[in-house]
Amino acid sequence: MTAALALAAARAGKRVLAVEVEPKGDLAGALGSRPVGAAPHLVQHNLSVLSLHAEESFQEYLRLFFKIPRLARLTPLARVFDFIATGVPGPRDMLVVGKIAFEERRREPNGRPVWDLILADCAASGHVVSHLAAPRAMMSLVRGGIIRGQVEWVEAMVRDQSRTTALICALPEEMPAVEAIELHERLRREAGVAVGACLLNRAFTTTISPAQRTLLDAMLSEGHRDAVSERLGASPAPLADSLQLAERMRDATVKCGRELRSALPVPVVPVPLQTTRAGLATARAVAEALAEAAA
Amino acid sequence: MSQGVDASRIPIERRRGERRRSPRPDTGGRSLAERLGSLEVVVCCGGGGVGKTTLSASLAMALATTLDKRVLVLTVDPAKRLATALGIKGIGNDPVVISRARLRRAGAPAHGELSAAMLDMKSTWDRMVERYAPDRKTAARLMRNRFYQRISDAFVGSHEYAAMEALYELHQAGEFDCVVVDTPPSRNALDFLEAPERVSDYVGARLLSWLAGPSRFGVRAMNFAAAPFMRLADRLLGSDVLSEVSEFVRELEQLYGGVQQRARAVYQLLRSPSVGFVVVTTLEPGPFAEAEFFCTKLRDFSMPLRALVVNRVLPDSLRDPRGEAAASALAENGNVARWLTGELGEHVRPDTTRAIGENHLMFAALARRNAAQLQRLQRIGDVAVTRVPLFTDEVGELEGLVRIASLL
Repeated sequence: MTAALALAAARAGKRVLAVEVEPKGDLAGALGSRPVGAAPHLVQHNLSVLSLHAEESFQEYLRLFFKIPRLARLTPLARVFDFIATGVPGPRDMLVVGKIAFEERRREPNGRPVWDLILADCAASGHVVSHLAAPRAMMSLVRGGIIRGQVEWVEAMVRDQSRTTALICALPEEMPAVEAIELHERLRREAGVAVGACLLNRAFTTTISPAQRTLLDAMLSEGHRDAVSERLGASPAPLADSLQLAERMRDATVKCGRELRSALPVPVVPVPLQTTRAGLATARAVAEALAEAAA
Repeated sequence: MSQGVDASRIPIERRRGERRRSPRPDTGGRSLAERLGSLEVVVCCGGGGVGKTTLSASLAMALATTLDKRVLVLTVDPAKRLATALGIKGIGNDPVVISRARLRRAGAPAHGELSAAMLDMKSTWDRMVERYAPDRKTAARLMRNRFYQRISDAFVGSHEYAAMEALYELHQAGEFDCVVVDTPPSRNALDFLEAPERVSDYVGARLLSWLAGPSRFGVRAMNFAAAPFMRLADRLLGSDVLSEVSEFVRELEQLYGGVQQRARAVYQLLRSPSVGFVVVTTLEPGPFAEAEFFCTKLRDFSMPLRALVVNRVLPDSLRDPRGEAAASALAENGNVARWLTGELGEHVRPDTTRAIGENHLMFAALARRNAAQLQRLQRIGDVAVTRVPLFTDEVGELEGLVRIASLL
């Protein structure tokens, strides 16, 4: 979904950075690239991807802000920094948001932001709240020093609705829909993040008319089954399963869509189920669907 | 390779609430619950959004009812409705027994006993502090420390350790024949496999304490290595924070012996033959990649992967070549509608026949991709794969668990 949004935005002329929060390589793969590192890597026109690695981000942070060279080969201090960056939960969560905030603040020599839009492919719902709430948690711990100022700045970005918005992805199934509603509440309450929209992914939007059901039932009825099979060259019996699946998936899409709309104060955008293999083609197809929805 | 539960062959209409078992060629005809029946701990891993919590609860139910055992499912952060279905009123490590009457009403066989608990991170950490602190004063000081408070309830990494700690306690208590653990949906869920060293990087923590804290004589242990660190830390955090951190680390150090011992014990438990891992996935690319990751990681650590459960599988009937032939004829041949009008004695519109055909062809394509993914998965895991079909009809939460349990 992040890949599709990134493509849609890049096509609309925006300079986009897509960020993979858990470095799995899926996002880069969906954008037709091999796995990328911690530096922005151009994968399509107007579209770059980076993959977050806690330790690398921490080293970069120290290098950028404190002019400290890579500590890897120095003294036992390296061990301490590794411990802080990867072993202690607070700084690790903070680095995720901090790196994104850093990219948001980057400017070109003419003062223009380097990115028009940064899209982060976040961790699963249980963890994304912790990541987004990390600046808040850090603020209660660190009361002075340079970090305090930086945490404040990151916190301000996260809470500023004109700069940060969360998009919740749901599926047209009971539990994912319930989780999406709960996530919306937690994002708002625990992390103070505004939610912009809910994307109902893999929505089954094809209309199934009653005529289709009536026709198939008639074709499969005892009096006609054999003649129909002969005419079609094969028995249409398996079509009963696909039609039933379609009816149920459509019903589930309608029902979950209704539930999400009534529970969430944000637009719910259905994104149709794709039948293509995962990859750039799918991301493009979803991007088109999103562009249509936006129009 | 095993077909596991081939639920997809059961016509959709007949599946609902029905307890039905199809042959499982490579598992000696045994169900997943039967195959896992000798285990005392089952750890379920998988990416987000695959239905892991629901499947963990269903598996616990299957183990309890099929084998007449006392089984506990320990969940991490379940959606409220599932928690309600299981009868968990609030978070707490204390197991709640799900009443027989409720299970019976939901259609579960009246055997065994199912309990549920929801991981309470804060109290797990607190209990650990109380257990390992040298005295009550140290424990109280540590619990008051702001860093401790934040780390124990706010941050991501603390979930995994707390889950394993709670698991160990529940297993040791011996009240259950089997504990099914639902791990957090992230790759870090398996970080505890890198224990005991990983639980807390002892060297890192000690160095930090040494660099940051006052020495025994009340003077900062300044030396060549510490000087740049101190300057940096003061600039970064302000000096009072550093002293608080160092106090925290020093206090924590006193716990370390106990924690490390416990981590070793957890590690031993996880490697014992009474523990098995189950990887849960769907055939979507994201979760699928996660399943691959978990299988590889378990293999790297020589942890026993006992089963792969694939959720939301499409019925095999969709791949029946006859269906595709009939669907193609309907989708592509405009004359079929006219012929059907004559055959059925009712007007049939060409767009209706086309829609039925195209719908089937779309699902057939999806089902073919599913099948290819399943084959890949079997190669990766090299264990029996249990399939849970895509259920799209509406049932109550507990009924849903019973239905899935009947397939495991």
